[in-house]
Amino acid sequence: MDLSRRKFLKLGAVAGGSAVCNLARPAAAREMPDIDPDWYGMLNDSTRCIGCKACMVACKKENKLPPESTLGDAATFGAPLYDSPRELSEQTYTLIQLHRDEKTGAATFVKRQCMHCADAACQSACIVGALKKQKNGAVKYDAGMCMGCRYCMVACPFNVPQFEWHAALPSIRKCTLCSETRLEKGEATACASACPAGAITFGKRSELLKIARARIAAEPERYLDQVYGENEVGGTCVLYLTRKDVAFAGLGLQPFGYKPVSDLTESIQHRIFQYFIPPIAVYGVLGGIMFYNQNRKRKAGTEGGDDDY
Amino acid sequence: MTIKALPLRQKFFTPNVFLLLFFMGAGAVFAFFRFFYGFGSVTNLSKAYPFGLWIAFDVACGVALAAGGFTTAAIVEIFGRHKYHPLVRPAILTAFIGYFLVGLAVFFDLGKYYNIWHALIYWNGTSVLFEVAWCVMLYLTVLGIENLPNVVEQFKDNVHLPGRLARLNRPANWLLHRLDWFCGKTMAFFVIAGVVLSFGHQSSLGTMMLIAPYKLHELWYTPLSPLLFLTSAVSVGIPMVIFEGTLAAKFFGRRPETELLSGIAKYVPLFLGTYLLLRLGDLAYRGVLASAFDGSLQGNAFLLEFALFAVPYFLLKRRSIRRDPTLLFLCALSVILAVVLNRFNVFLIGMNMGPGWSYFPSVGEWGVTFAFLAFGVLLYKIGVNYLPILEAEHE
Repeated sequence: MDLSRRKFLKLGAVAGGSAVCNLARPAAAREMPDIDPDWYGMLNDSTRCIGCKACMVACKKENKLPPESTLGDAATFGAPLYDSPRELSEQTYTLIQLHRDEKTGAATFVKRQCMHCADAACQSACIVGALKKQKNGAVKYDAGMCMGCRYCMVACPFNVPQFEWHAALPSIRKCTLCSETRLEKGEATACASACPAGAITFGKRSELLKIARARIAAEPERYLDQVYGENEVGGTCVLYLTRKDVAFAGLGLQPFGYKPVSDLTESIQHRIFQYFIPPIAVYGVLGGIMFYNQNRKRKAGTEGGDDDY
Repeated sequence: MTIKALPLRQKFFTPNVFLLLFFMGAGAVFAFFRFFYGFGSVTNLSKAYPFGLWIAFDVACGVALAAGGFTTAAIVEIFGRHKYHPLVRPAILTAFIGYFLVGLAVFFDLGKYYNIWHALIYWNGTSVLFEVAWCVMLYLTVLGIENLPNVVEQFKDNVHLPGRLARLNRPANWLLHRLDWFCGKTMAFFVIAGVVLSFGHQSSLGTMMLIAPYKLHELWYTPLSPLLFLTSAVSVGIPMVIFEGTLAAKFFGRRPETELLSGIAKYVPLFLGTYLLLRLGDLAYRGVLASAFDGSLQGNAFLLEFALFAVPYFLLKRRSIRRDPTLLFLCALSVILAVVLNRFNVFLIGMNMGPGWSYFPSVGEWGVTFAFLAFGVLLYKIGVNYLPILEAEHE
């Protein structure tokens, strides 16, 4: 045989290496997520919000969440102070934040909550599928399935899922879109029902988009010609409008790309485990090398005696 | 093989063992608070840093540093370098201990640890973690089987249970004989399976943080990350064997296996070179090399990481350095630190979850991590003391 052992090993290494390289190269981008026109969602019109926080109160009542004081708790003041959260937390599913424009000094109130993404990163990341997009558009969390690994928190580009850091047996908490408590009864979300300024519109996503477009068309000098959430990270069920002179980034809504954030991980995973062919191929190549080496040793009749590399 | 592996059978309760027990006790105290009063009572984790030291070191580094098992097994059993056979058993034992501790660490880090078995029944194929979990479970099983021959060899026809348990002697012996037969027939299958599972697992850890394109720094956010994790894990395999071998020789008062270790060290530049080539090529191709020199924490962390990889690459190419036990040990240490820093960079330092948030591990987190390290060392000591892992000294 003129194929020397050395050559064989080299060939094997090259073949194996290129196989692995091939695996690591991401497949072409996945198709954009299908968006169901019947998904429910909310349109947050930041130009209409007056910052009264009625939505936050309604949310706390609906979900039976305790007030959260950043000034001091009942132990400090002898009585619990009213709600003043600074960030979304396990006790605050929705939050009104004030953003002040540096140039004009104009104040804008922005409502934050789960965006109920079309292709939710948390759903892609969850190891046991405890986070799932529902038929009604809500991304639902199942505490009974959850393992508490917090990978959803890493994955979510909006940093929405919150962990109960002070519970012995903690769960993830986040906005439910009132999916169980109200949507099933045909009612709008608690925050949307409570809003006195018409800043939160509840409805089907497809219709919300039409409403948003109509508002922009009716008052082009008032609105920026963009609906945040229409395409960002593959589309979200919660949509935003902003003033013409205030970019979404200035409201804490980052200029994300249009691809779902799980695009790359899912492509790689799919490539590495496609029909299990790549792992089996690696197994076969390694098995072949092992068999070749053992056979050669047996023929030579020696157990030791390596030729040096 | 002419030289047999034997249990060390040294005195067990040395001062070092009490030191290990002290660390484990301290860790247990912190663990008590974590399990009964929540993560907030012990850790510095926050909404911005849901993954902290426990995931970054105990899991991500733990898995990488257990790579000595599959690389040594591949070099010796698959590529037929039987000269290095004495290194296989300690490497496989260490890998088993490493993966066992990874499993235990995950248990500590899961909020709902009692649901850990859900990974078996609720499958979400799109999750990278799902793949990671299955590879840990399967590879831990494979490592357990790969360690069986050590137990069989030690106790076959040699079961002497005391008192009433004596009636179990015969069934135990029968079982050991069956296991011996089973191992003899199937070990080749498991050796290759171990390597394939490691390939999948190491690379999947590299895929994990790619789900956060807007949080992970561009120096580490690359589609090549799975391959980089795999090649860096392969690179650190032999350095781990050198590191453990040197320390074991020192602490158990044995002659260092310098000849074997410096022999197998010649493969390290091959692996490191591949890794460095891929790493540099990727950075250059994506055009992000400049951000390594912007003076930021991330940029500096990258430079340090890269230096720790590159210096041993050049040093270990020289035969004279490989033959010097001290320099060899330092080179191995450098590669190990490089991989540890790389995993820290990907899981912690390179992750930016928004302005106003920072993270540094709390005393409790360090305490639990040190407890795991101590437990690992203790398990290794138990292993080599009572099982035939290390070969009798040469000459």
